[in-house]
Amino acid sequence: MKNLDSQDSVIVEGIQLSRRHFLAMLAGGVALGALGNPLSALAQAAAANGGVLRVAAQANPSSLDPATGGSGSDHVFLYPIFDTLVEWDYATLQPKPGLAKSWEFKDPRTLVLTLEQGVKFHDGTPFDAEAVKFNLDRSRTDVRSNIRTDLASVESVEVTGPYEVVLHLKAPDAALPLILSDRAGMMVSPKALKEMGERHDRNPVGTGAMKFVSWADGAKIVCTRNPDYWKPERYAVAGIEFTIITDPATRLRSLMSGQSDLAYHLGGRQLPLIERAKGLQVYTDSTIYCFQLYLNYSRGPLQDVRVRQALNYAIDRQAYVQAVLAGAGEPAYMNLPKSHWAYDPEVAKLYPYDPDKAKALLKEAGYGNGVKLDMRGYNDQATIQAEEVLLAQFAKVGIGGRFTNGTIPEMSAAYFARGEGDLILSAWTGRPDPSMAYGLMYSKNAYFNAGRVAPPEGFDEALAESRATDDLAVRKQALAKVQRLVMEHALVVPLAFRMDIVAAASYVQGYRNNLLGKPKFEGVSLKKA
Amino acid sequence: MNRKAKMLYRRLLQAVPIMILATFVVFSLMQLLPGDIAVTLAGENASEERIAEIRELYGLNQPFLVQYGSWLWHAIQGDLGSSLLTGEAVAETVSRTFPTTLFVVVYAIVLSVLIGVPLGILAASRPGSPKDSFIMSVASLGVAVPNFWLGMILVLLLSLTLNLFPATGFVSPTEDFAGAIWYATLPALALSTGGIAEVARQLRGSLVEIHHSQHVRTLHAKGLSPAKILWKHGLKNVSVNLLTVVSLLFTKILAATVVVEAVFAIPGMGSAVVNAVLEGDFPLVQGAVLAMVVTVIVVNLTTDMLYTVLDPRID
Repeated sequence: MKNLDSQDSVIVEGIQLSRRHFLAMLAGGVALGALGNPLSALAQAAAANGGVLRVAAQANPSSLDPATGGSGSDHVFLYPIFDTLVEWDYATLQPKPGLAKSWEFKDPRTLVLTLEQGVKFHDGTPFDAEAVKFNLDRSRTDVRSNIRTDLASVESVEVTGPYEVVLHLKAPDAALPLILSDRAGMMVSPKALKEMGERHDRNPVGTGAMKFVSWADGAKIVCTRNPDYWKPERYAVAGIEFTIITDPATRLRSLMSGQSDLAYHLGGRQLPLIERAKGLQVYTDSTIYCFQLYLNYSRGPLQDVRVRQALNYAIDRQAYVQAVLAGAGEPAYMNLPKSHWAYDPEVAKLYPYDPDKAKALLKEAGYGNGVKLDMRGYNDQATIQAEEVLLAQFAKVGIGGRFTNGTIPEMSAAYFARGEGDLILSAWTGRPDPSMAYGLMYSKNAYFNAGRVAPPEGFDEALAESRATDDLAVRKQALAKVQRLVMEHALVVPLAFRMDIVAAASYVQGYRNNLLGKPKFEGVSLKKA
Repeated sequence: MNRKAKMLYRRLLQAVPIMILATFVVFSLMQLLPGDIAVTLAGENASEERIAEIRELYGLNQPFLVQYGSWLWHAIQGDLGSSLLTGEAVAETVSRTFPTTLFVVVYAIVLSVLIGVPLGILAASRPGSPKDSFIMSVASLGVAVPNFWLGMILVLLLSLTLNLFPATGFVSPTEDFAGAIWYATLPALALSTGGIAEVARQLRGSLVEIHHSQHVRTLHAKGLSPAKILWKHGLKNVSVNLLTVVSLLFTKILAATVVVEAVFAIPGMGSAVVNAVLEGDFPLVQGAVLAMVVTVIVVNLTTDMLYTVLDPRID
């Protein structure tokens, strides 16, 4: 689902340009200056906050317990507090060791994890095989767990040594290592869970580099450095203080005026502002977060594959990225971006911008005089802007209709749960393993498959094949098959991958974006000039 | 029992049904809102079974009256419940965010009075003069300008350009009062323009009217200086009007904080409530509504009591 990316920055840019207002207000400003001056020293003092990284965060988390939360925006807060069994490479999302220093499929249904030794939870509980079993069993059975489906392929978890765990699987599942790099792999102190129960949602205890201190809803989350961290070189900051600011324009202002050191999930239209501002640096990198049109192919004209293909040919994705994302995006021709390890360049060639072909396909399908669609979207400014661009592009090939907009919970419930509307403009926030994403979006009874229509023939087999081995080359081939089936049958209209735009003060060093688009702050340090 | 105590007693008794009615109406309205918090709670791994399970888990499948009744029963016992979304106790959210909002609102009202009263007196001193028309047209502008826009202008000018005030955030006045004032100045200023304008206009109107009244003419005739007339007789007579303006301003500014809190990233109740309403987090909405109803009742009651103090003719 989609995050609100309001484009208030446009307003700010407008203000910056209108010098007349500036001059008119200047007189008043000078008068107040006398009052404010002695205090502005405080501003500088605030910037040097004893090595604590102050992050302007985009949303209040749904929970700080990895198993009971459910929002894609939670990970930013969870990563510093919890280590994952498996980690991923920032650039390609390939799996790499985490709390599990190695893993091996003894056979396709048996996954053996060998754990790091000498790691302790924040409450002093030792991290060992028993702790892993406790966590995995809880995540796949507890009624409050939102991630039971992630671990659905696990039959049982067996402790075979103090630092060795064996996962017995119902079916081969090579996606598991990457699943264990997500919520399911975040290890919570068993002692804390037993003692606190539901209260752990707001008092998380992990093994991570940061210890949780406090959480005030919608306002602030404070973490302090874990002095006993098992990889002390990894985090150089004394703590992390997240201030929750949902409006991107306000996040940027908070950074510009020195109340924050780093702000993430900024909009493309804010780039010129960031570049003009003194003392800021910016990171823009592609992510797997994909803006797309979800299609309901159980009803109306979209039951016809030709109409769905016409939608894909009708969109000029390059122009879309320019117009809607101010250039800060990567055109999307399938559900994976170029830099992903499983990207298949051949599938990406399937739908070049071709309005004539779109028209021809519509005519073939019996819609020579045009087709009307019942479209849905969200009521934030950015979405509405995108809808205008889409409607203009659709109109060129004879696709008409209108968008009905509402809040995210309202429209998601109407479209995905009740099956209303032909399509919805939303986004896929991405999963570490592509097979998770494809399964969740296109399987027969998947929630994000609004029509609950069975996928094309061969899809389930190819998906199973992609999970049958952990040999990345073989997996890549199987996933290429999956991608091709999805795109040939035009089950989705991918539009663009979001670029993660992160701005930071110049003294913030060592930050890197990752392909998942969920910032981690490993290696970040604050070096004052 | 004297009159005032009687009035106080009666008003407090009335407050109880008002609170129940208000929370019931808001609860009913929330049922009408589209959207489903169970979908939000199910998160990114939502499935139909999971959503149904969550409805069960949180009692969302219960009939409307049962849900309200259960909330009311707990509320009477002093338990406002917890946010469905994050599990934070509602009492905690309200007691953390509402004082923040109130601080900014009160600051804005103080600014409105401090700036509006002199402007009103200045304008009324020579009705029809260029000074008067200038002040009144600026005041009209003050009513017309949207707070959030002004807020962004202020940030741009006084924060990002001149570096005098912070652009975002809030400091608790109990921890650092000077810091709290420093952080809240821009938001309060943005909120107060309408108030300044209203105070100035009302004051000018009332003063001009009194100026033409017979008793002021008599005072002039008796040889009192204009300054003495203004301070001793003029302002005393308009103070009741001013009080009415200020008490109306209170609710108006309280409502306006929702947008201004977003512009300045102030962790107040406005932003908390908006999010809770959008997501259907009813325990939090109910708690916030209660806090607001109580506040408005207290403000109205205080205003009424002050009326009787300022003007003995009022019962």
